[in-house]
Amino acid sequence: MNSGGKRPKAASFLRYRVNPRVSWALAAAFLVAMISGLFLAYPFSETAPFISTVGLENVVPFGRFFRRLHYFSAWLTLGFLFYHAAESLWAKAYERRTAGRWLALTLSLVLILLIAFTGYVARWDETGRLAGFIAESLSLKIPYVGKYLNGLLFMVREGGVHRPYLFHLYASFLVLLISGIWHFRLRRLPAEDLGLVLLLCGLLAFLLPVGLHAPGPYLLVKGPWFFVGIQEALRHAPPEVAGLVFPALGPVFYFGVRWPRVREIALGGLVFWSLLYGGFTLYGLLR
Amino acid sequence: MRHLLWSLLFLLAVAVLVKEWRFKRAEKVYTLASGRVDMCLACHKETPGKAHARGVVGCADCHGGDPLTVEKARAHRGMVKNPADLRYADRSCGRPECHPGYPERVKKSLMATNRGIITILRYYWGEIKDFHAEASVEVLMRTGETSTALDYFRKLCGTCHLWLPKEKLPGFLKKKGGGCSACHLVPGKGPGKNPHPKLTRKIPVENCARCHNRSGRIALTYQGLYEDEQYGAPIRDGTFGAEELEDGRFVERIPPDVHFKAGMSCVDCHVQNETMGDGKAYAHLEESLEITCEACHEGLGRTKKGTPLPNLIIKNGKILLRAKLTGKLLPVKRPDPVACRHPVHRRLACWACHDRRVPQCFGCHVRRSAGEKQLDKLSFRETPGLWEEFRSYMRLENPTLGLYRGRVTVLVPG
Repeated sequence: MNSGGKRPKAASFLRYRVNPRVSWALAAAFLVAMISGLFLAYPFSETAPFISTVGLENVVPFGRFFRRLHYFSAWLTLGFLFYHAAESLWAKAYERRTAGRWLALTLSLVLILLIAFTGYVARWDETGRLAGFIAESLSLKIPYVGKYLNGLLFMVREGGVHRPYLFHLYASFLVLLISGIWHFRLRRLPAEDLGLVLLLCGLLAFLLPVGLHAPGPYLLVKGPWFFVGIQEALRHAPPEVAGLVFPALGPVFYFGVRWPRVREIALGGLVFWSLLYGGFTLYGLLR
Repeated sequence: MRHLLWSLLFLLAVAVLVKEWRFKRAEKVYTLASGRVDMCLACHKETPGKAHARGVVGCADCHGGDPLTVEKARAHRGMVKNPADLRYADRSCGRPECHPGYPERVKKSLMATNRGIITILRYYWGEIKDFHAEASVEVLMRTGETSTALDYFRKLCGTCHLWLPKEKLPGFLKKKGGGCSACHLVPGKGPGKNPHPKLTRKIPVENCARCHNRSGRIALTYQGLYEDEQYGAPIRDGTFGAEELEDGRFVERIPPDVHFKAGMSCVDCHVQNETMGDGKAYAHLEESLEITCEACHEGLGRTKKGTPLPNLIIKNGKILLRAKLTGKLLPVKRPDPVACRHPVHRRLACWACHDRRVPQCFGCHVRRSAGEKQLDKLSFRETPGLWEEFRSYMRLENPTLGLYRGRVTVLVPG
């Protein structure tokens, strides 16, 4: 707030900081995803995840709408997040952050992607189920911490969607709580921005169906769209490289940008990695 | 701006309410015996028979579509009415958990390729020199390849093959073709006005007779039907009183084959490898034929290619055959030790004596009118050239015998 009691104009923000409209839209989309998720949690049963997801679509009143609202708000969250992450680099936000804070922000990127991923697994259709199996196999390949990470996030072969679902819930609250207090002020979220995002998600949910993938004898099942890049890379390289090192390189480069000595390499690496991951994703989606 | 936003949100909320109010929700999530979800059952009450019972095999397993929604348009997207069509059979009947490998076999069978018919036509019309040339209806349909003999095939013969989509052709031809369902489908009995047909392994003679009623007229004679001179006599009440086939041909009743009289169907003798193919691409019928009279009547229990006959039972020295359609145990007569084993009869095929009536069609000729058009049954388009078949006369007499591969056998003109 300035001395005149009015909010600073967007133009003055742009000079040094990221676009506030997109940033608030990101927060609003995440909030809509959280609230719509709470509605879905009631009829959802983790003991019969697929049947309850089908029930949400076909039996539960307004279940269809809230599921789609949840899906599109999460989708927009990821879209805005990628834009926000790129814009932060453009606005040199790393120069105004301590190493610890920059690390936390970088990790929050990974965390939100994992939240989105476990959301796909939780619905337990063919896409989610197989994505869960792949993720479990990959996490077990991580040396030393693999089995603990798998126990925290997946363990789908043993426990079905129990852990991915709990992680999906807990991590969502954690991200909202931590970033809503330290990264942005959730209570300052402008009502217009929330309304606009709600309108956009609502329109998408009203107009576009969100299908489920029925089990069947498929030779090719594509995972969630942001996972297709890894899935495609797994065709061309061993799992340790394609499933662990390759996806981990993105956040590592992003984190490395903060240090002037390696900034150029990190930025170059990040651009190259993004193009490669995007290329793999596109190729996988068109397959 | 703010007012507009809230107004739009309000309108959206109203639209969502209306859409939800109009949406016909399912009462519950429907699952099959296997635990898989099939929401088609929320609307569809059809019963396709025991083997594919409702609640066991899901509608979408065969027909495609989306079984996870009750929204009609989305649920029906990508559906096929006849999943047994050979174009889809790999994904429906032939899916790994159902009948894997069968569509590949059937596609190579003569009922699917018509290779024998095509090759013989082209060979005798002087178009090819190889009696065992490669030929397939599917290729003709795909490529549009034609010639004089092929044009004849396309317009007159091209309705009796498994690649023909069911209900594609008009009139009585509607019932022909359809891939696996050409044989395995029998009319359903309900519920509803258009009951789901039943899928069966007990193939009735009518299904075979839908195609095997020309040339040798084997399925007609088997049932005791003789395609006569086509006068339609006797005339009753000013119209033809003779029994009529679906395609308008008149038939007379004659004594049926003893096997038919005993309640046997074609599939009681003709094994799966013959009808559905054994995976090999044969050029002619006699190469794919397996069953012999001796397989049952001598109690061999195997076809000449070694395929076992599980419905043949030998008990206390007696040979019995369990009829597949009725389940009845039928006694099988052993060959007459005097007549059949007599050295002078050693070259006789069984049917040289036992086939008393063989319809014989003499003076068969065809005419092509180049100025007129006719429906090409493979491309489903009218193309120039009208083919008509004529014959001089039909006879139902003791068959002519002749030598074929060292055996005295029945020769049938037609």
